[in-house]
Amino acid sequence: MNTAQAGTLESMDCLVTVSEAPQGTGVKIQIAGSSAARFKSAMEKKTAEVIASMDVKDIEISIQDNGALDIVLGARVEAAVKRLMGGER
Amino acid sequence: MRRTMLYLPGNNPNMLTRGYLFGSDGLVLDLEDAVAMAEKDTARILVQHFLKQGEFGSCEVTVRINGVDTEYWKDDLAAVVPFPALQGIRAPKVDDAATVKIIDEELSIIEDKNGIPVGRTKIFCLLETAKGIWNAFDIASASPRVAAIIPGGEDLTADLKTSRSKEGTELDWARRMLVFAARAAGVDPIDTVFPRVTDDAGLRKETEFIKQLGFEGKSVIHPNQIPIIHDVFNPTEQEIEKALKIVAAAKEAAERGQGAVSVDGRMVDIPVVKRAEYTLLKAGLLEVK
Amino acid sequence: MAKNALGREIPEFIEGYGKTKLFQGAFALKPEGYRAGGKIRCVNSTCTDKRVSDIKAAIAASGLKSGMTVSFHHHLRNGDFVVNMVIDACAEMGIKDLTLFPTALFGVHKKLIEHIKSGVITRIMGSVNGPIGQLVSEGGMDVPVVLRSHGGRPRAVASGDVHIDVAFIAAPTADQYGNICGTQGKSACGSLGYAFTDAQFADCVVAITDNLQPYPAAPISMSQLSVDIVVEVPSIGDPAGIVSGTTKVTRDPLRLLIARYASELIEASPYFKEGISFQTGAGGIPLAVTAFMKEAMIKKGIKASFGLGGITGYFVELLKEGLVERLMDVQSFDLEAVRSIGENPKHIEISADWYANPWNSGAAVNMLDVVILGATEVDVNFNANVNTEADGALLHGTGGHQDTAAGAKLTIIAQPLLRGRIPCVTDNVYSVTTPGEVVDAIVTEYGITVNPKRKDLLDACSAVKGLPLVAMEELVSRAHKMSGPTDPVETEDRIIGVVEWRDGTVIDVVKQLKAK
Repeated sequence: MNTAQAGTLESMDCLVTVSEAPQGTGVKIQIAGSSAARFKSAMEKKTAEVIASMDVKDIEISIQDNGALDIVLGARVEAAVKRLMGGER
Repeated sequence: MRRTMLYLPGNNPNMLTRGYLFGSDGLVLDLEDAVAMAEKDTARILVQHFLKQGEFGSCEVTVRINGVDTEYWKDDLAAVVPFPALQGIRAPKVDDAATVKIIDEELSIIEDKNGIPVGRTKIFCLLETAKGIWNAFDIASASPRVAAIIPGGEDLTADLKTSRSKEGTELDWARRMLVFAARAAGVDPIDTVFPRVTDDAGLRKETEFIKQLGFEGKSVIHPNQIPIIHDVFNPTEQEIEKALKIVAAAKEAAERGQGAVSVDGRMVDIPVVKRAEYTLLKAGLLEVK
Repeated sequence: MAKNALGREIPEFIEGYGKTKLFQGAFALKPEGYRAGGKIRCVNSTCTDKRVSDIKAAIAASGLKSGMTVSFHHHLRNGDFVVNMVIDACAEMGIKDLTLFPTALFGVHKKLIEHIKSGVITRIMGSVNGPIGQLVSEGGMDVPVVLRSHGGRPRAVASGDVHIDVAFIAAPTADQYGNICGTQGKSACGSLGYAFTDAQFADCVVAITDNLQPYPAAPISMSQLSVDIVVEVPSIGDPAGIVSGTTKVTRDPLRLLIARYASELIEASPYFKEGISFQTGAGGIPLAVTAFMKEAMIKKGIKASFGLGGITGYFVELLKEGLVERLMDVQSFDLEAVRSIGENPKHIEISADWYANPWNSGAAVNMLDVVILGATEVDVNFNANVNTEADGALLHGTGGHQDTAAGAKLTIIAQPLLRGRIPCVTDNVYSVTTPGEVVDAIVTEYGITVNPKRKDLLDACSAVKGLPLVAMEELVSRAHKMSGPTDPVETEDRIIGVVEWRDGTVIDVVKQLKAK
């Protein structure tokens, strides 16, 4: 199974791991880390938005967070998906 | 004013979020040396998102792209130039006027494609080899986009086949020459970074020296360096006068309901007005809104 | 269910705590009656040596029984051995159902979790942090934890709200008749400020020392008048955990930025003049503020009258340089402070009562001009929270927060706006520790936010060019914009923590977190 990662565990960053998923899986999002307790919904929403804008229908995403704001989360998700689509660098 | 330009590592969310709060005149979002090769793609996307939605206060926002000798530079430009928040790019290892022209051309293509006024994006040239320093005047005159020329530190020293010293002997002539070349061409000379981040006294000494040589300001590697450099480079009477003119012209234009501001017959962009206000703020002549 | 003066819902009666008195305002409640006290002792000349053989013998001699209240001070910080030694011994002796009444607990005390689970300790009054805090937040104790400030604790003891059966006092130096001192010995900790109340009011006081000196020891902090039993042990603590190395001013740019704004506020205020007094902080931002203040004081040619609170080598330097006249020390953090308090008569040991008790003839905090504090959260009404984290877990004690805020003329909370994604400014704090009426300004990396109730401060700040003033509304809106909407904390109905104000009223309660 093809996977890719982007981001780091540094302060205000997050590590996003994405994996190809069979057709029909939908978008499966898992979030853990310092923001998860209070910001899970907001983070799931942002992640889903970015995935949708990239026209991806089936994917598994796991986010290990260390305080990433939406602007960072969005960038890391986009980067991870691009890596997944473009082949591992 | 370009007293300070703070490098922000392009893959560092913390610094990209907070960098502007440290009050430097300009920022350099770094996609080159601060980013490992394996992370060039993610850093590019991160910087792009910040240019789209991030905050930079009244700082002049620039991005240091990778050199034209790499596979990254065109993607770097394509990712950052389309955003209004960007005001310039800092190009590493500029050896000659030809390099400037190559970048100039690529910038025009991207600006045109994205509805950005052609010529908006300025070029800050890093001269990091003996050849680059030798060609300083030609580089500075190579395009109206060139806003500043900056000497390299480590790379230049290596190219001269010597080592870096505390006194800066090896960079002395390059610095002096660069000031002449810049002023002759009508661009800003900006000095290289001071790497010893805990040596406040050493920083002040070097800054006083380069200010006296005629430098406009200095590149900054750590926020703690900013207050010291600003202290040395406090706005002069001349700068305050110029800023007063610009701000008055902007006020007048606003009162007449005109969008365009002109000073001494030349058009003045909003960022320039903002920086003029900032000059007056620093001089204590403008109230915080 | 009733609401207190801050609109927090407080039940009339809390299981394991008792009847509640509602918080009515920072200075609303006035005391009545007389001080409580410990048992009257009688010791004749037949006893010239109060030593017993070991901890267990001391416990036996003290009359400690199951269900009683035991107390400890926290001057040995994370190097403390005494709390664990005593509770371990109690467990072995079959004593249980104890109420633990420490002045604070540290990571080294996480060993107590096994004793909490086995029922040796069934109630804690005092701060809970780290693993013990997490255990309490998840409902691991049957009875709620009671959090009091450094000043609220001596008040509670003196007014009879809390009765200490046996106080165990770790003593870096002691003699056989019970005179003790903190400034000498291999486990020296400097000031023993937090232990005075226990010595004065407990029914039985046990001194535990690893440095026995011939009678009479000198100097003396707490005397033979209050100490009943003396025990010698090989070591009361680990010096590396008791005192830190030289405290250096932070180089972190974000903290320096915030500290600079805070010191600009102080300089703009009417308090920046000859004789200024300030709370001495050891944390990153407060210490950096002091460094900037030092520069400003030298420039203006003024001196401080006193520094108050937890003392570090940095303040000892200020004392030696003549920039501050006196240090009033309730806790000594490093070796320089320990040395100084032992040698310099201008460096004075003070008790928690003296430092912060609201119900005496005048605590030191009342004379304070400036204090710089932290907080996990502050809300639009300037109420501050230091006890719970954004996820609702009870993780920090109150310390001197309430007392210094209530006493100081200028109370500044200096904090980065964001810790990761979590903002420190919200519409409503999760739990209140200190009410907005005593908080004067919030300083973040975005600027200075003055409490609108302090018109005098706002006027003073507006007169200074270039001070980065930010309205609270703007700060909250920025925090919202950057962090995004938060999910609510999911809790059970059960109360696991009671936060008392300095006067013993209940300012807030903390509920148990829902299991994940």
